[in-house]
Amino acid sequence: MSIKDPFAEGLARGWKAHNASLLTEDLTLEADIAIVGSGAGGATSAEILSAAGYKVLLIEEGGLFTSTDFKMQESDAYPTLYQESAGRASKDGAVLILQGRAVGGTTLVNWTSSFRTPEHTLQHWASEHAVIGHSREQMAPWFARMEQRLGIARWGLPPNDNNDVLRKGCEQLGLHWAVIPRNVRGCWNLGYCGLGCPTNAKQSMLVTCIPSLLEQGGELLYLARAQRLLLEGDRVSGIECLAMDERCVAPTGHRIRVRARHYILAGGGINTPAILMRSDAPDPHKRAGKRTYLHPTTSAWGQFEQTINPFYGAPQSIYSDHFLWPDDSATGRMGYKLEVPPLQPGFTASMLGDFGQPHAALMKQLPNSNMMIALLRDGFHPDSAEGTVQLRDDGSPVLDYQLTDYTWEAVRRSHLTMLELQFAAGARAAAPLHNDAELVTSMQAARRMIDGLDQRRYKTRLGSAHVMGGCAMGEDPSQAVTDSLGRHHQLENLSIHDGSLFPTSVGANPQLSIYALTAKLSSLLAERLAG
Amino acid sequence: MTTSVRGDSHIGRRQLLKIGLTGTALLASAGGIATLSGCAADRPAESFVQLRDSDLPLLRRLIPVVLDGSLPTTDQQQAIDTILQSIDSALNHMPPHMLKQFMQLFDLLASSITRGPTTGVWRSWDKADDQTVQAFLQRWENSSFDLFQQGYNALTKPILIAWYTAPQSWGSCGYPGPPAI
Repeated sequence: MSIKDPFAEGLARGWKAHNASLLTEDLTLEADIAIVGSGAGGATSAEILSAAGYKVLLIEEGGLFTSTDFKMQESDAYPTLYQESAGRASKDGAVLILQGRAVGGTTLVNWTSSFRTPEHTLQHWASEHAVIGHSREQMAPWFARMEQRLGIARWGLPPNDNNDVLRKGCEQLGLHWAVIPRNVRGCWNLGYCGLGCPTNAKQSMLVTCIPSLLEQGGELLYLARAQRLLLEGDRVSGIECLAMDERCVAPTGHRIRVRARHYILAGGGINTPAILMRSDAPDPHKRAGKRTYLHPTTSAWGQFEQTINPFYGAPQSIYSDHFLWPDDSATGRMGYKLEVPPLQPGFTASMLGDFGQPHAALMKQLPNSNMMIALLRDGFHPDSAEGTVQLRDDGSPVLDYQLTDYTWEAVRRSHLTMLELQFAAGARAAAPLHNDAELVTSMQAARRMIDGLDQRRYKTRLGSAHVMGGCAMGEDPSQAVTDSLGRHHQLENLSIHDGSLFPTSVGANPQLSIYALTAKLSSLLAERLAG
Repeated sequence: MTTSVRGDSHIGRRQLLKIGLTGTALLASAGGIATLSGCAADRPAESFVQLRDSDLPLLRRLIPVVLDGSLPTTDQQQAIDTILQSIDSALNHMPPHMLKQFMQLFDLLASSITRGPTTGVWRSWDKADDQTVQAFLQRWENSSFDLFQQGYNALTKPILIAWYTAPQSWGSCGYPGPPAI
């Protein structure tokens, strides 16, 4: 049975999509609204503003890949669909950062988990960061709208065995667990969400909001890097984009000048603040790029008697929030959300430490293994780890992310928690991902080992799939880049609609938080521009 | 996940300290040193887009050590060639700042001036036995200097990813491959 490729069909019907890598001369494009970034924030905004009657141009640095291109091969996906060839990391290399870079942004490669922003988080933003108008009650209709738009519902099939380890462990220990809501329609339960969905079941921006934009006459410009905003007084007068080659590595030399009435930045944490910084945008309180958060993620490996085949099946279907809000507080000890990742072999091999025979011995156990991850909720406590976006000499952004003792305490706690869950679920051996850790066969031995581990960068293997903050929203211009509606505090026709608005990490996989917030901001923007 | 530092050291603690303190400068200038010593050309090697002739002896020795226990014993050279092509393709898709760092690292390791003091591998790479290469990797992994710890990751990860994303490796880790759809 052949699978339809609705995006390719749309292009054949005449959707307006400009591939900047093919330009043979400079280009000028005009629109009512120009949006930089085609991920969760940018594409959601594009659909809504286009439906409201505005001519929208959506600009994406990465390439265009559609379901026909998705072959479930890691070797294809990492260089084409991820930022920096899936090698993006914090400045010192201590935290690997997985972020999408293609038409559809990270929604193209995320693992589909869709949570509403936790109430603790919304309250914290209101009380500590002067965010107004986004309480749980005020956000509820926007969550509901985007859940309906993207088919978000609790996963209806049984979890795969990798996720079931988390469920069993929680059951055994009497801890909270629940089924994850996913943005899928007619999902085949394959397990390759991270490599681009080959069946268009994942309701990523590639199959939802971007087609809707293009169907409504909007335009897409891809393989175009938004280099800088052109400023005139307190207004943006244009965006200068560099055409990129087909690898999205080097500029071709051609430029695209974009002119619009209103501009929206939606390149995500790291890239959005970087555009402001490259543009020398007014920033009297030096807020752009500050307070960037990652949900630094720890991992644990558990080996079982039975077959788990952790590379197959919906990658994330069970979670536990038992440890997310210790002391029922946002500002107490750092909490963490527990999930599992899909384990295709390339990703797994790079996560596990060591080399040679010991590494090969772990990899041989792949079909019988589980990995568990803890997403640490950074940014709520003053002693939390925090990131700052900087520019390299070549203008490319890098995140300087500094870990702290407060954060390492949670790292250690999360290692203990995950091994306890794996043993409770029947693991015969387990180890946290740390260069000095070794497989142990009992919780007693695990405690002894983890107590003795030197928790520090490079030794402890840390990753992140969630970049949040860097252009915080809030009513106090000395603390925030935009107001609570995403309007830049200094530039009047510039808005920011992406995860960089969050004043802290979310405390949950952020995609639905981005969809709902940007849907709200875009709807209000459409009204303002009409007024 | 390793347990301890194994293998003996070719460089003493004091010498390592000295290198560590100047390590960043070393890395930054390694390209220049290597060029002076005549072992690095900017031209890619034949059948490669990014990898240069000077990078190949190092990688050809590292690959079988990093992948010991997983590489096939028959047709091992063919597997190594596949991995080299994959690493070359990965380099070719990296942003310029990252590619430059890799090339500097390779220069540091290839140059006859910097190789010995930083790695403990005093003879040329093609003459280094498995034990020597292992000792070098363990030394860097367990070094107290960030530069070497980062270098360890930068050398091992691309090899691991290149191999385990290749279908030839999947038998060694029980992965049947993606389902047919």
